[in-house]
Parts: sequence; C-alpha cells; structure tokens
Amino acid sequence: MADQANFEEDALQYSRQLYSAAMRMTRNPADAEDLVQETFLKAYRAYHTFEAGTNLKAWLYRILTNTYINKYRKESRRPSEVDLGTVEDLYLYRRIGSEESAEAARTTEDRVLDGLVESDIKEAVEGLPENFRMPVLLADLEGFSYKEIAEILQIPIGTVMSRLHRGRKAMQKRLWEFAMQRGLLPEDAERP
Amino acid sequence: MTLECDDALTNLYLYLDSELDNASSRDIRAHLDGCPDCSGSFDFELRLRRVVKERLDEDVPEAVVTRLRIALKREAAGSSG
Repeated sequence: MADQANFEEDALQYSRQLYSAAMRMTRNPADAEDLVQETFLKAYRAYHTFEAGTNLKAWLYRILTNTYINKYRKESRRPSEVDLGTVEDLYLYRRIGSEESAEAARTTEDRVLDGLVESDIKEAVEGLPENFRMPVLLADLEGFSYKEIAEILQIPIGTVMSRLHRGRKAMQKRLWEFAMQRGLLPEDAERP
Repeated sequence: MTLECDDALTNLYLYLDSELDNASSRDIRAHLDGCPDCSGSFDFELRLRRVVKERLDEDVPEAVVTRLRIALKREAAGSSG
C-alpha cells in the first residue's frame, strides 16, 4: 500500500513524461493539461490501492490512457490519415538506400534524419489511428516493454507487437512523405 | 551458428526493443558483424528511433506543474476536511 501523503513526491516526477504523451494524444496544450491533471487527481484518490514498490510509472500511464480513451476518444469523427495495410518493412531505409554507393546512401540518411523537424515527427505520430498511436508512443517515446504496454493498454502482447510493427511502418511512410516535401531525398528516390 | 538475413530482419524490432533473450541477441550481433546490408538497415532503424524519441519529447510548462500542485493540494484539503 502506498501512502497518499507521499503522492506528490512519488508521482510528480513523471509529470513531464505524462505531459509529452498527453500532448501527442490530445494534440493541444489545453486538453493535454486537463488530461494530465485529471490523471494525477484520479491517481491521488486511488493511491492507497497502488502497491508500493511496483511500477508506478506504468500505473500512471494506465490511468492516463484509460482517462484519455474514456474522455477524449473521437476516433470515429477523425479520418484516418494513413493506410496501414500496404507498408513494407524498412520502408524509409529502402527508399533512401537506392544510392549507388554506401557513402552516398549514408549522406542521404544523415540528411533525412537531420532534416526531419520536430513538427514532422509529431505529425507522423499524431496521424496514426489511436489503436496504433498508443503502442508507438508507449514504446518509442517512453521505452516501455511489450509486457508493460500490454498491461497499460489491457490488450494481449501479440496485439501490442503487431500494432507496434504496423504503426511504426505507417509512421515511416509519413516521414518519407515529409522528407520528399522538404527535398531531402535524391531525385531517383522519389518514385513510389 | 549464423542467421540468415530473413531471420535477422524478423528479429530486428525485437532486438531493437530489447525483447530478445541473450542467446538470440548474440546471434543477431554475430550476423550483423558479418553482414553490411543488415547492419546498415539495423543502424538506420536505431538512429531513426533516437531521432523520433528526441523530437517527440516535450517540456511540461512550469505553469502546468504549478496548477497541478494546486489542484492536488485542494483535493487533499477537500478529502481530509
């Protein structure tokens, strides 16, 4: 059992991370703040049920995602921006790697990785349908294990793996589009 | 034992996510050491992942944390009295 008196000290250290995730979920600062605040209030009220010494960060994320899903889910009203069915493995790499020499390919890789700005990455993640976005955020932003993600989202581990895999590929496809728009890719890599 | 490229690719994401057992990770590393094609793609995926994480991270505004502390204090006061 965790002591409610210690809640601020124990939990607030995660406010930055939860806020980052909340921004990617809600896509705007006002809703992100509401979501984070509601998450911490719920967690505070339930803190006596939290088993001290277990994974507090994962517990907070579970409350965050449940709160988001219950309160902010508007997926049906939002068109899905990516087709998740047709993206092959190593999507971005394969399109960059068509260079003649390894050295030229490396130069293009550097140009793409340096040239994709923050807003490109954020849009690529935020454009993912919610079912795919959550596992990607939890793995790639937060570094949770598959098992932890399965527990946070309350879905089977196999589902975590397949959604993560497909979500990341869809994200790469979107990043490739941004890279093209920004002129980061050589001419001959722009063919689909 | 060495892995074929197909097997290495299948395990690519598991490896990068640190979800493989030690023996399988060793097999992957051994394959990568001898296969420039695979190590090129592994390396790119790893770098991409770092870039994604780095550029997704967001600072929480100080004002947000302040309001959060106030909300928690109010909640604590309300529940105790």
